[in-house]
Amino acid sequence: MDQEQILSMINQLWEGFEFSVGIFAFTILFSIPLGLLISKGRMSKNRALSAVFRFYISVMRGTPLMLQLLLVYFGPYYLFGVTTGNIEIGPFNYRFIASIIGFSLNYAAYFAEIFRGGIQSMPRGQYEAAQVLGFTRIQTYFKIILPQVFKRVLPSVTNEVITLVKDTSLAQVLAVTEMFTVAKNLASAQVSVIPFIAAGIFYYMFNLLVEVVMGRIEKSMSYYS
Amino acid sequence: MRVLEIKDIYKSFDDLRVLNGISLNVDEGEVVAVIGPSGGGKSTLLRCATTLETIDKGSIKIGGIELDYKNRKSLAEIRGKFGLVFQSFNLFPHYSVRRNITEALVSVHKKSREEANKICDNLLQKMGLSDKGDSYPCNLSGGQQQRVSIARALATSPDILFFDEPTSALDPELTAGVLNVIRELAEEKMTMVIVTHEMSFARDVADRIIFMDGGIIVEEGPAKDLINNPQNDRTKAFLAGYSD
Repeated sequence: MDQEQILSMINQLWEGFEFSVGIFAFTILFSIPLGLLISKGRMSKNRALSAVFRFYISVMRGTPLMLQLLLVYFGPYYLFGVTTGNIEIGPFNYRFIASIIGFSLNYAAYFAEIFRGGIQSMPRGQYEAAQVLGFTRIQTYFKIILPQVFKRVLPSVTNEVITLVKDTSLAQVLAVTEMFTVAKNLASAQVSVIPFIAAGIFYYMFNLLVEVVMGRIEKSMSYYS
Repeated sequence: MRVLEIKDIYKSFDDLRVLNGISLNVDEGEVVAVIGPSGGGKSTLLRCATTLETIDKGSIKIGGIELDYKNRKSLAEIRGKFGLVFQSFNLFPHYSVRRNITEALVSVHKKSREEANKICDNLLQKMGLSDKGDSYPCNLSGGQQQRVSIARALATSPDILFFDEPTSALDPELTAGVLNVIRELAEEKMTMVIVTHEMSFARDVADRIIFMDGGIIVEEGPAKDLINNPQNDRTKAFLAGYSD
């Protein structure tokens, strides 16, 4: 491989990397609030409602993410006869959108369980103190409970976020030209393992950044225990 | 003026009867101590009076407002009439001392930050914690934390203050500071109901003592009389267990 080939490889990988980062960012954006809602539903006193969310979490965790992505992509056509080829939101085609929907639905299930663990670990006294001080339920949740839960669940959330960086490579099944797809194509075209190694370095650098950022966030909340 | 009016309340947890017909009136400026063995219903009585538990029967009135669990507005109103100091403080660990004291003033009682800070400064001074406004609860001793929680309960100028064993979670050498604060409040004629195991403190500070056991008020009377000269056998047996 000469210098030109390497530069071109990096260039192409970078383009794929942008898709990977896109999937990553949108998934984080949607799956965390969705996970909070699901954890609320899972903890509902209404048994039927709680059972629905428990089932949802069970299925999402119990089946392959790759299969879920394929279902989101092909489901609309095979189940409802809806053609998705011409769906576009801004610069994003349905392949990309489907992968974000699939990732978000799946990761929300994992986040929901993490949040549930955090919320249920909160001492009852915090709720009681807030109640007698006159805070409404919503105020109690957003001012007192959630900020503390956030600190408690951060290490587990970091785990999921790091996994997500690597999982974005699964979007290849929908032929999204994310970095792994690009690396695979380059490797077979050049009959070389170097594109894979280069892609590996990209993933690792990204996760190194994730670790640093999450570490900073954790530190910024270490003023209390 | 009558601040607290508890009329014939009953409370059970599943099959366990915890309160078996309790009536208690507290007048403005009065300090009432509630003593008795563990499991006798003292804490449950306090939790019922502070809306943390619902009662099965009877009625509770604080500051002239009838407790009605179904009426959200009256619930919010009644919660503005009392303060509660917990055994385990229950401060908000992610808030500074100042924010612990002012947050309810600002977001529940809609006072300005300025106004709330002024109230906070006065209370901190009173608690001997003037330099601790920016500290976080985890950096304070248990005694200091409990004084912060007293300040938090006082911030909204309640008609009555409830204490649930305020020194039981403290190391012995830290109880004095907290008890002194309560003593000062008593001298200022703050209306208070104190569940406590500190008999000599109850005798010195309270106007009236209630002895509870088995979910009923077994004996009640002026503080010194009840401690020094109990009439009921159960009260005598209980007090005999305390040598002070």
